[in-house]
Amino acid sequence: MNTRTAISVMLVLAVVGLAPAQPHEAPTAIQRAPETVRSTGVIGRLIERAAPGDTIIVPPGVYREHLRLDKPLTLEGGGKAVIDGDGHGDIVEISAPDVTFRGFIVRNTGDNLDKENAAIRALAPRATIEHNTLTDILFGIDLREAPDSVIRGNVIGGKPLDPARRGDGLRLWRSDRALVEGNTLHDGRDAILWYSKGVVARGNTSRRCRYGLHLMFSDDVLIEGNTLEGNSVGVYLMYSTGVEVRGNRLLANRGPSGYGVGLKETDRFTLRDNYIAGNRVGIYLDGSPFTQAQPGRVTLNTLAFNDVGMTFLPSAKGNLVTENNFIDNLNQVFVAGRGNLDANRFWEGDRGNFWTDYSGYDQDRDGIGDFVHDSTTLFDGLLDREPKLRLFLFSPAQQAVEFVGRALPTMRPEPKFVDEVPLMRPVAVTLPPAPRTASRVMLIAGAGVLVGVFLSVLAAARLPACVFEIGGRS
Amino acid sequence: MTTLTLTTSPILTRPVPGALANIAAVAGRELRDALRSRWFILYTLAFTALGLGVSYVSAASSGGAGLSNFGRTTAGLINLVLLVVPLMALSAGASSVASDRERGMLAYLLAQPVSRLEVLLGKYVGLAGALLACLTLGLGLCTAILAWKGQDTGVAAVLTLAGLAFTLALGMLSVGMLVSVLARRASVAVGTVIFIWLVFVFVSDLALMAGTIALRLPIDQLFLLSLLNPLQVFKMWSLHAGDASLDVLGPAGLYAMEEYGPRLHLIFAACLSAWIVLPLTLAAAVFARRSPL
Repeated sequence: MNTRTAISVMLVLAVVGLAPAQPHEAPTAIQRAPETVRSTGVIGRLIERAAPGDTIIVPPGVYREHLRLDKPLTLEGGGKAVIDGDGHGDIVEISAPDVTFRGFIVRNTGDNLDKENAAIRALAPRATIEHNTLTDILFGIDLREAPDSVIRGNVIGGKPLDPARRGDGLRLWRSDRALVEGNTLHDGRDAILWYSKGVVARGNTSRRCRYGLHLMFSDDVLIEGNTLEGNSVGVYLMYSTGVEVRGNRLLANRGPSGYGVGLKETDRFTLRDNYIAGNRVGIYLDGSPFTQAQPGRVTLNTLAFNDVGMTFLPSAKGNLVTENNFIDNLNQVFVAGRGNLDANRFWEGDRGNFWTDYSGYDQDRDGIGDFVHDSTTLFDGLLDREPKLRLFLFSPAQQAVEFVGRALPTMRPEPKFVDEVPLMRPVAVTLPPAPRTASRVMLIAGAGVLVGVFLSVLAAARLPACVFEIGGRS
Repeated sequence: MTTLTLTTSPILTRPVPGALANIAAVAGRELRDALRSRWFILYTLAFTALGLGVSYVSAASSGGAGLSNFGRTTAGLINLVLLVVPLMALSAGASSVASDRERGMLAYLLAQPVSRLEVLLGKYVGLAGALLACLTLGLGLCTAILAWKGQDTGVAAVLTLAGLAFTLALGMLSVGMLVSVLARRASVAVGTVIFIWLVFVFVSDLALMAGTIALRLPIDQLFLLSLLNPLQVFKMWSLHAGDASLDVLGPAGLYAMEEYGPRLHLIFAACLSAWIVLPLTLAAAVFARRSPL
């Protein structure tokens, strides 16, 4: 096939360490790799010859092969070496500890979900997988019992498949203390941690995936400074304890569930300094905390322009929610079921939250509203009964309903939460603002077009009457 | 040949012949009158001021930190258009024929060599021009405010909103003119359209809400019934055009997306077109038959 012609590999080899200089390898035709991962090609032979601790620098070129790294080596791709899996099987398998795999473009795995075809699979501790670009892959980086590994600066893009048929861009299975840093994932399924304690996920970006970061039974994980945008769900924590989520941007996650942060039966969690905007639900609490003695804390977050700022299912009790900015969420807080004012606390000492819909005032100017904030609008009450009525959102009729709710105390629904000391000013946001997407020049041009239409209508009105004349005939 | 025609025939100094010229002449007069009239200046001022308020407040509520607003500004403007534009267009239409008839202007107009259809269409086009001027001034200044405040709203969203608001205005103008043709007096016409406005803006939606709760309306019927209200159609179309999605409207929105998919645009367009064409046709039929006096 055209595979043979496509490969013209200029092989410059540098093996650092005690290994002798390798003989110059001619660009031999590389056989089609078999189904199983086996080192058959050029790089594979280099790996066979290398001694533990060696560094193999792979020159630019396209290598159609499947690799097994079965001794502690460093492979350097320099960003231009392409390893092509030819559309089947896994591509790189790391089966020895202390392997570094850096700077490759890995592409074209199989698409067999049962066999979990992965671009890079690590089966041993302390793997370092850095600065690789993974394209057209089912699973991206799959760590299986590879604790203390480092996954850094990789770009991982999935296959153009229906979300249900995609694989996970990143998966950690029983890989404690791994560091996942500065990776970009797009168009995949999840970045998921299974049974992995003490993992740090920092500065990663995820777009158009299913779950931006998903924790299953993974304790003491730190999720920091990530940008998770346009996924189905931003961060989903399940059955995990001691998770800290701080300084993340969780934007426009609007899948069927569409949570910025979802928490299911998670204990001792901290959500802090996050900017959570434009999601279907900003923070979704379901059965968290699972153990009453280990509640969670939500503080210093900005929840803005979500359909619902925070949702509490009846099972979410005992959490502390303070010093957050609730900015113009269509529905700031939604408490499912009948609710209980004491279930979760929205203030501590004299620090409550900032609410854009707070209707009280601050006469003594101490920065704290003089009345409690317990806003539940009548329309929200109706939505609780009949979700279909969301169809009338943004219409004047909705405002009429809310006006009735305010004006007639008998129509007021019972409040489901209360903030005794609402803040009058927003809490300072520590996170720098997200980059603007809309262009100011374009907006000004748009304004110009509209005003231009206005002026031309005015001009048309001033046209001399003689141009158009009733009964005009020549 | 062309130049010869141009030099020999004084076509440029002569009026444009035929029905189009008649319509244009009536339209020009109507537009000039409207732009000078009190209602137009009042509505334009109100719409512009409220629009500027909405834009300014929504830009300010983003904390000035450049927090992107995900179309909430557009939502505020949609709300404003829903309240003001139908009232403006309905009352413009209502007073058009009826007040001319009261002042005896209609008899004078019809004494000219124009058909009744030409008069009606001319009035419609002229008033449409006035409404267009009002909308573009208001939304243009709003857009300028958004640009000035560094608001993260796309230009396409604003222009789409302006276009759709104008379409809604055309429909409401059409209804207003039908009322105007039917009514004997201008005051009756204006009173009637204010009632119609109340029905469109509040009564029908509230009734549908109550019906949904009381009768447990299934979701498909709820959506189809909501299509009867041109204001709801405008709202859904604007949201759909901005986000390519109706998911913000909850289950009914998701149902519509699932059921009709890309055909939603066509459905919305058909609904609003019907509100433009049908009342105007009816008005023309009535106007042609009835005594203008």
